[in-house]
Amino acid sequence: MRQRLLGLVLALGLVVGVVVLVVQQHHRSPGPAPQPTATAGSIALSGLIGSEKNDFFTADQVQQAFRAKGLTVSVRTSGSWQMAEEAKGKPYDFVIPASSVAARAITTPITTTAVRPFYSPLVVIAHQQTAQFLQSNGLATVDGNGIWTFHMAQYLADVQRQLGWSDLKGGSLPPDLAGKIYIATTDPNSSSSASLYLAVMSYLANGSQVVSDQTGIDRTAPLLHYLMANQGALLASSDQLFRDFVAGTGKPLSWTYESEVAEQAMKGNMPGDTVVLYPDIGITSDHTVVELTPKADALAQALLNDPTLINLEAQYGFRPTADPQKMVAALKTKGQDHGFLPNLTSLGSQPPPPTTDILQKIVAAASPVGSGN
Amino acid sequence: MTRRGLVGALALGLAAAATGCDGDGGKPKPGPSPSTTPSTTTSATSSPTTSPSSGAPYTLRILAGSELQDMQPVLEDVRKATGVTVQLSYTGTLDGAQTVSSGKADGTYDAIWFASNRYLRLDQSAAGKLLSDTSVMLSPVALGVRSSVLGTLGWDPAKTTWSQVGAAVAAGKLTFGMADPSQSNSGLSALIALASAFSGAQAALTQDDVTKAAPALRAFFTGQKLTSGSSGWLAQAYQRTAQGGSGEMLGALVNYESVLLSLNRTLPSAGQLTVIRPTDGVVSADYPLTLLSSASAAAADAFSRLTAELLRPEIQRELSDVTERRPVVAGVAPGPGLGSDRRPELPFPGSRAVADALLAAYQNQLRRPSRTVYVLDTSGSMKGARLAALQQALGQLTGAGGNLAANGFREREEVTLISFADDVKWQHTHQIPADAPQTALAAINTDVQSLSAEGGTAIYSTLEQAYQLLAQQQAATPDDRFTSIVLMTDGESNEGASADDFTAFYRKLPAAGQAVPVFPILFGEGAKQQLQGIADLTGGKLFDAMTGSLDGVFEEIRGYQ
Repeated sequence: MRQRLLGLVLALGLVVGVVVLVVQQHHRSPGPAPQPTATAGSIALSGLIGSEKNDFFTADQVQQAFRAKGLTVSVRTSGSWQMAEEAKGKPYDFVIPASSVAARAITTPITTTAVRPFYSPLVVIAHQQTAQFLQSNGLATVDGNGIWTFHMAQYLADVQRQLGWSDLKGGSLPPDLAGKIYIATTDPNSSSSASLYLAVMSYLANGSQVVSDQTGIDRTAPLLHYLMANQGALLASSDQLFRDFVAGTGKPLSWTYESEVAEQAMKGNMPGDTVVLYPDIGITSDHTVVELTPKADALAQALLNDPTLINLEAQYGFRPTADPQKMVAALKTKGQDHGFLPNLTSLGSQPPPPTTDILQKIVAAASPVGSGN
Repeated sequence: MTRRGLVGALALGLAAAATGCDGDGGKPKPGPSPSTTPSTTTSATSSPTTSPSSGAPYTLRILAGSELQDMQPVLEDVRKATGVTVQLSYTGTLDGAQTVSSGKADGTYDAIWFASNRYLRLDQSAAGKLLSDTSVMLSPVALGVRSSVLGTLGWDPAKTTWSQVGAAVAAGKLTFGMADPSQSNSGLSALIALASAFSGAQAALTQDDVTKAAPALRAFFTGQKLTSGSSGWLAQAYQRTAQGGSGEMLGALVNYESVLLSLNRTLPSAGQLTVIRPTDGVVSADYPLTLLSSASAAAADAFSRLTAELLRPEIQRELSDVTERRPVVAGVAPGPGLGSDRRPELPFPGSRAVADALLAAYQNQLRRPSRTVYVLDTSGSMKGARLAALQQALGQLTGAGGNLAANGFREREEVTLISFADDVKWQHTHQIPADAPQTALAAINTDVQSLSAEGGTAIYSTLEQAYQLLAQQQAATPDDRFTSIVLMTDGESNEGASADDFTAFYRKLPAAGQAVPVFPILFGEGAKQQLQGIADLTGGKLFDAMTGSLDGVFEEIRGYQ
């Protein structure tokens, strides 16, 4: 009898031990959890995102905001165009590629309208000296507010003539500019930012018409192939391209998301002489939540509507769909808004991207022979 | 090689597991043991959801370039902050690429970390196994010119071009050492920069550019007096000579800026190197820390904690100070020795075909040819599996059994095989012609397959004969060749000359003889002390085939020949 009692006490002790451990486990999570009960019933979600959103998704404040909405979110990064393959047979609840075009390449049983909680225009970054050289040669202008515009028609004309930097005669040539004129991108086969570059360049090379058929693909392929082949081996992620630029070993002109630059500006971390150039004929990355399981809808809605998350999206350099001007406003409060365009509607034209199917064909046609495609 | 890396990783894993136990021992032990089971289950299921900045201790298994050894102090600080122990298994860039593309890395490693993924990513089967790349630091491949030589060249280091460097070398005013581009990223990066500069390429290299650059490259490589399989060994060899050791004092070293600057910390003033980043363009290593798609969720979580910590400004500052590499985070200034004026960053070839054509041209046409003597122990103890392994490894260098290994014998190479036991049994020299090398390669393989094992082991006497043979060969054809001896033995010298005899013999050799290094291979019961002594005396390097495959070692040595 006494033995049985002892057993019972021990067993109870075990249960208590387990409970205490589980609770401790939650308390060890970063940051004080304001409502421990909310985490107990939270929905765990995992997904694939582009590297340009990794800092946002893994930030403590963002994780906390998710928990406050009853969500525990874990992510892995992958190139937008690799996500369809990468997600196959894995238990992901969502994927968030950097564009709706890439999103449409991903099959999902969920049929609700895809949510696009925030977006970011693609920009060209350069050092001050390079920007001034571009200006001297009709490739860029700067307005009274310090907002730079990149002139795509002039760029198209220069690359169609296959000019080198030393062929430009205005101003003095910066020391890191050599060889043919081109904008450095990531690999369009894996990365969304580069495929959006091809989308906008194909529009320009197609006589300002969105490419919609094989004729258009054939017409634009030689120029697009030239723009890609010049670059040689391509980096896999925009994050890497941006870091190379920051480290001073990048290419003179790099094609990247405004959000990457704005996020660093927000932290006061931009190299002092960085210039953000907005293409006058540009394209926007509309980050799109593709729900793979019904659980993911709560995340999509939180990203779209939750005021705390909207705030954080702006803090990480994105333009929230619900409040697009919040990003530059946030930069302004930090005194870092210089060079960022407050309102995208003042940009020139923004042609729509080709369809997913056509864009994939454009990418294939532009890819250098021997790169395995 | 690969297998050796694997065994090393296993050994490290065991060590880590042991320390892990010690760590747990520090926590409160009492309490019924079953309670730990639910707690680990909880942490396992919740681990993917934890934030990157903190979390459970985890050991990440990373296949890495050997030059990352200098990251150890930084990684120790990272471990304290994140609980992530980084377990680096070192290998060459090329071997690493093979390990990844063949699938051998899956399940064995969680991530890879090399100077660059660009060559690897040209191979689609390898690229498909990489999930995300995060560059954590940068270093351009540069030219370190011995300061006293620089004075005679009259260059302004801030304004020097590859073309100027090429002209000085071709005129016989400058000699240099450079790592083998087939084995080392620093060598490949330099070759790309040189080919771009000499061809006047205005964009990524094409086959035409490679052809166009060939005459200038061939002239340039006449000045290459030292080659190696790794950028690290190249630096050590320069250091040894600068400190009065054996070897020819070079005018310059082609290496990472970080290696050159680190080397200066320990060099005597006469050996100090001035770092030149040529103004017509450089190729930089960007050290992408790369998660493998095969990694587990827990590994992926630890990986993101690791990368987040490595990109923190304080750690970026530390790694620039410790390793002389450039930080990649905005707002972190590079270390004081790192010049801030920018250079054009040259594109890496966009296709495997161009990269491989450049490498093949280097090995078979552009570089100085080699004169190589293989001193092969065929004593009684080699009988059976050991002899078979030797025949397989050497046969592979001739392309026997299918495809010629990437580091096989080259066109224009002179290969001598010496079979010895208590005395030299036979020695045969083969000339591999500049075109149609197949007949000569087949003849080498026939010799290799004819080896048979019997007798004692006279290492030192045979080495003396090898040096004498080389002196005859050098006298007969006084052409300009990379000359070296490979010694393969599974025992210790028990006949003929002693170690002291050999040392005396070596010291009396003329300079041309003393310039020939011996690369001993430790195999079977090989006497490590004796072999290390031979490597040290002659300026060679000991290779260990005890724990890995003989094939891998024979291929690795090719970088030094």
